Amino acid sequence: MPASVPPPDVPLSFLGASGLALVVLGVVLALTASHIVSAPSDDVPIAVTHVAMLGFLTTGVLGALHQFSTVVGMRPLRSIAWARVTFYVVVAGVWLLPVSFASHDNPLVAGAGALLTIGFCLAAWNLSGPLSSRRKDPSLTGLRWSVAGLLTTAGFGVTYAFDRNGTWFNLSPNVDLAHAHIGLLAWLGLAYVAVAEKLWPMFLLAHRPGRSPGVLAVRLVPAGVVVVVAGLLTDERYVALAGGVIVGAGLGCHLASFAGLVRHRRRPLELLHAFVIASAVFLVAAAGLAAAAGFAPVSTTVRSGLASAEVAALASWLGLALLGHVHKVVPFVVWGVFRSREIRTGPGGRPLLFADLWRKDVGRATFVTATCGFSGTVAGLASGLAPLVVAGGVCLATTGVLALANLTLTPLRLLHRVHPEPPTASVVGVTARG
Amino acid sequence: MAITPFERDLVEAALGDVYDPELGLDIVSLGLVYDIYDEDGLLVVDMTLTTPGCPVSESLPQEAGAAVAEAVGPLGRTSEVRVVWDPPWSVERMSDEAAERLGFSRPRPDPVTVRRA
Repeated sequence: MPASVPPPDVPLSFLGASGLALVVLGVVLALTASHIVSAPSDDVPIAVTHVAMLGFLTTGVLGALHQFSTVVGMRPLRSIAWARVTFYVVVAGVWLLPVSFASHDNPLVAGAGALLTIGFCLAAWNLSGPLSSRRKDPSLTGLRWSVAGLLTTAGFGVTYAFDRNGTWFNLSPNVDLAHAHIGLLAWLGLAYVAVAEKLWPMFLLAHRPGRSPGVLAVRLVPAGVVVVVAGLLTDERYVALAGGVIVGAGLGCHLASFAGLVRHRRRPLELLHAFVIASAVFLVAAAGLAAAAGFAPVSTTVRSGLASAEVAALASWLGLALLGHVHKVVPFVVWGVFRSREIRTGPGGRPLLFADLWRKDVGRATFVTATCGFSGTVAGLASGLAPLVVAGGVCLATTGVLALANLTLTPLRLLHRVHPEPPTASVVGVTARG
Repeated sequence: MAITPFERDLVEAALGDVYDPELGLDIVSLGLVYDIYDEDGLLVVDMTLTTPGCPVSESLPQEAGAAVAEAVGPLGRTSEVRVVWDPPWSVERMSDEAAERLGFSRPRPDPVTVRRA
């Protein structure tokens, strides 16, 4: 492992907590589907939304960034100890906040909001170590902006948390949407766009000629989000539309980058790419739902359902991408753990491969349940049909169980089966030459 | 001191046991080993990686270094593995078996070029 990479427990603890949150998200979606569909702005749906945004997505993406920012920036985190503290603070806040929403306990909402803000500030401070690298890299640019997006989302959220009675500003649905779009696009979406620019060429063994359209994506997305949010906060739908066009252009560049890499790939497509392609479909669906929610001549109830479905489609875009990438990232991190314990062989005595650390059949089942789960949830919210959301929730809970079992039990079973080899005595120098 | 055919065979065999954990193929079949030569008594292996950001960019050369040292160390040889990026790795460097296992049907050679050759 590169010297700058943190110990495996740092990314894995975040990713494990994210998997558990997906299971909980599925269960609560199924249990509260009718409430979510009938009144999406109530406290219970807001609690469920925060399980998705914070428990599943933000926790998972923070885990990924604690690993990848060090690889991209080629610098270590500022403090491993504080990364571990961040994990506990974030997880505590992530679970306290939905509970406090659901129990209508405003002081607890404020406390959880403050806790989360502390956790996110700690994460931003720690990530600023690798992200302050002077390397010219679109991934670094995107990650810097995305961390700024995280802090903006947290600042927005904590203000909300302390102003539940609307003393300082009107808690209109548009303000909710503005908050959701900063979090989904400027923080989570941009982090994915930035990391993908680094990961996809590796996973596809693609040497693309010329400049990646991703260079534009990491600039257009944050710029567009600023305009979208301004439009939402001022109730100027054409300003929001203009911002949406800029964000759409940025995300179009992101998809064009993927298409270019697929064209220049040097290995066949695999399960990860099924996740990536399905996730891109949700991104396109989100754009369509956003346009419908903003401009279709429909009742307020239908508009509200379409807006909820759009937020869910964006979360599905990111959720599928996260699930696909953890099937690459977790085996890679665990492989390093095995190697550090001198376990070098996999089943049958041949060299230990990443593929030995997860089961492909379970991975494929995870893809099917995840796609069905997100589809059911989005379709249910858009159509106002609670049974679809229930089915989506059941599939998502199953997805979480499958992913967690596959990525933890498979290595554990292997650990019990193989015998460690004695450590190799020879050590030689390795140098790099341009 | 030059590399003897015996030493070259030993090194190639040792590197044939070093696997890319992502692709499941050894680094010789993948065409990652560019050259094996002697430099003032030091046995040097030039190797590359599939992409500069390769996730095993540190561990794979270390493992190759350990394998080479284990192979030629008993002969009293010191060795070093160097990572080079020029020329960049390409699919054409893989053995036919490796290309097939990765699912590549490589472009057929241009018949005109073949006739000229």
